[in-house]
Amino acid sequence: MDPSWLPPTVIAIPLIGACLVLALAQHTPRLVVDVAALVTALFTVAGGAVLLVVVGAGRVVTRVGGWTPQIGIVLVADPIGTALALLAAILTACALLYTWRYFDSAEAHVHVLLLLFLAGMVGFALTADLFDLFVFFELMGAAAYALTGHKIEEPQAVHGGFAFGVVNSLGAYFSLTGIALLYARTGRLGLAPLGAALTGRGADVLVLAAMVLVLTGLLVKAAIVPFHFWLADAHAVAPSPVCALFSGVMAPLGLYGVVRVYVTVFGAAVPAVVAHRTLVGLGVVTAGLGAVMCLAQRHLKRMLAYSTIAHLGLFLVGMATLSGQGMAGSMVYLLGHAGVKGALFLLVGLLLARHGNVDEVGLHGRGRADGVARWLFVLAALALAGLPPFGTGLGKAISEEAAERWWLVGIFVLVSAATGGAALRAGLRVHFGLGKPPTDADPDTTSGEDEAQEGRFPARIPMTMVVPVVVLLVGAVAIGVVPAVADRLAEGGRLFVDQAGYLEAVTHGAAATQTPAPARWWTLSGVALGVLSTALAVTLALLAVHGRFGWLGRLLDTPLRTLHRAHSGHVGDYVAWLLGGVAVLSGLLILPALP
Amino acid sequence: MSRRLRLVVFGLGVSGIGVVFVLAALLIPRFGGGDHPYRDLAVPAAVARSAPNVVSALNFDQRALDTLGEETILLASVVGAAALLRPTTSEHERSIVAEDRILSATTLLGYLLLPVTLLVGLDVVAHGHLTPGGGFQGGVVLATGLHLLYVAGSYSTLVRLRPLTWYGIAEALGAGAFAVLGVSGLVAAGGFLVNMLPYGRFGDLFSAGTVPLLNLAVGCEVASGVIVLLAQFLAQALTVRATR
Repeated sequence: MDPSWLPPTVIAIPLIGACLVLALAQHTPRLVVDVAALVTALFTVAGGAVLLVVVGAGRVVTRVGGWTPQIGIVLVADPIGTALALLAAILTACALLYTWRYFDSAEAHVHVLLLLFLAGMVGFALTADLFDLFVFFELMGAAAYALTGHKIEEPQAVHGGFAFGVVNSLGAYFSLTGIALLYARTGRLGLAPLGAALTGRGADVLVLAAMVLVLTGLLVKAAIVPFHFWLADAHAVAPSPVCALFSGVMAPLGLYGVVRVYVTVFGAAVPAVVAHRTLVGLGVVTAGLGAVMCLAQRHLKRMLAYSTIAHLGLFLVGMATLSGQGMAGSMVYLLGHAGVKGALFLLVGLLLARHGNVDEVGLHGRGRADGVARWLFVLAALALAGLPPFGTGLGKAISEEAAERWWLVGIFVLVSAATGGAALRAGLRVHFGLGKPPTDADPDTTSGEDEAQEGRFPARIPMTMVVPVVVLLVGAVAIGVVPAVADRLAEGGRLFVDQAGYLEAVTHGAAATQTPAPARWWTLSGVALGVLSTALAVTLALLAVHGRFGWLGRLLDTPLRTLHRAHSGHVGDYVAWLLGGVAVLSGLLILPALP
Repeated sequence: MSRRLRLVVFGLGVSGIGVVFVLAALLIPRFGGGDHPYRDLAVPAAVARSAPNVVSALNFDQRALDTLGEETILLASVVGAAALLRPTTSEHERSIVAEDRILSATTLLGYLLLPVTLLVGLDVVAHGHLTPGGGFQGGVVLATGLHLLYVAGSYSTLVRLRPLTWYGIAEALGAGAFAVLGVSGLVAAGGFLVNMLPYGRFGDLFSAGTVPLLNLAVGCEVASGVIVLLAQFLAQALTVRATR
């Protein structure tokens, strides 16, 4: 049977479900809304899973409305895009289960917005049309801005949503301008027709400028330095289950978009070495800055947000190899990270619900009685550092192998150790009361004490909030121990970087060539590097808890202060950095690629 | 960042982007040239399906998925705005609003134009595939028309004749109908958003297949959505006050 009906159906399920929930919400009790939304998300999970099986190691091409790729819109489901769509559905289902008892107000807004957000992410992951990609990008944005600012009682929440909206919209306008330039040149909007039109002509300033502009919006969504400022502000104020979605899949989808667009549209026109060098550079800077800022936070959600930025940098380094293995490694890493980081955000949400606070200093020792949650927190922190057999460890190992150069491997180890160490430090302080309560009051760091409480469950933790955490952690382990996942993603990585195959599949619907990609699995060095990262993270956390940094701490004081000041929360600053970033990106990508 | 430094970074960024953009724009094909690869494909395709308004055929047939996404963006924006504008725990809604006197000429003109505007709105929605207009444009006309009640009458008249929950439902059903029509194409003609109805005679009201139906769905969603959206803003301006 022709499977081309599946991709649009997976997009339509959350869309129709959202409309139903919105219509129901006007007259029915909260329970009906909760159930309808969760069932919709589970149907989307089922649809995504079926699609993943059907896609196998190939591509499913859908001509929407029956039009040819030159006239209409084409959807292409390949293993990587489908895996991301499925990830979005799973995280949304977890978020909906978690919000079951989380919000006091009986508003259905959150449910509708989460489902529309899901529709946007699924569409983004499956479309093979540049303008359609932009439409779904904007749909993700519209829902995400409102979700970020949802706690309207807090001025910071509205401000965080505002900064997110302004920076992302500005990035989107750049993308739209780039799309317009490409359309002016070629009269095409599909990724494959665009790629075909640009092949063989070489790249002039118009094509290169269009590439910079289109990639800008996607890099903003992916929170790559210097476009990353919105992410920490948005994560600090958004409801915790929404943060799990932002960190786990929304920002990574930005990276997916960067590589997808580069490979399919510009792969033949712009020399790979130019793109590779620039993207690796951006990834390394992002990973480093994210790791440093992560260690310097006491606001738990900000700390996790900077850890996400650090990991996005690492994923970009892996993807920037533009090789099947690098892509596969980043994808395994990304999926494992989504489970681990999602669990950590939900656990911080529990702290916020029980103690009304997300400040590492203020919560010192207050989380001792949190039962199973405190062990899960420590486990998730170790997994964040890359502890085998978690998917994060496997993904890191495959990426390190693909990155080849020793200093890149060093960055993978150090950055993952730093982010894991920061999370572990917080867990040991809050849940185990280790070390003396820190007294330093740096005026430039944001404390987490004035965060609005989400939900009120003083007595015991409801199962609806623990189950998603366990599901996410089990998922993160499964990615590292079920060989089929890494195998499938290895195939997916090979297909992802194959521009000619993509063009062929879209225009002629030809099946993918069946030369299996080499399987990627745990190697001795991979396990050793994972253990090394974890050990470094534990050392770092213990040193930090007991305050043993001495002269090193004093030496780093001034640069850290400067970094904190640069992350000012001022939207004008963020816009200035964004524009400066586009100019620098233009220099890096256009000058070396000109003939 | 200090104001000065911000301006410097901003200035350097904008100049860099400006140079690149101008250089790129100089390479765009000349205006009025004969080379239009997409026009040459899209216009015959629209005419073949009896849709004289080629823009509408593009939006609701050839690239209907984009439009599905766009109307969903509108839905998300309306729901999001409603979520952000809801009264906080420290606010309440007053029931009585002090109204200013309105000139009788304004009232007369408003009530005369109300049915005319609504008719024009319906016309713009219904003829979207034939003449300029369509669901988006007509929907906005309809929603604006309804607010003549507020301009010409009073806020309480508007509130009485505007059952918000029903508009909320209509908004959801309109938005959902687009996706459901897409799925119907899948069931009836084997492809999502396939134009499965007879194309009819060029220029007839009932022609161009599903295009008018999709316009109707969008019109319903846009009109209701804009009414719900304006209701939030009007409430914030007129009735929501901080609790003392």
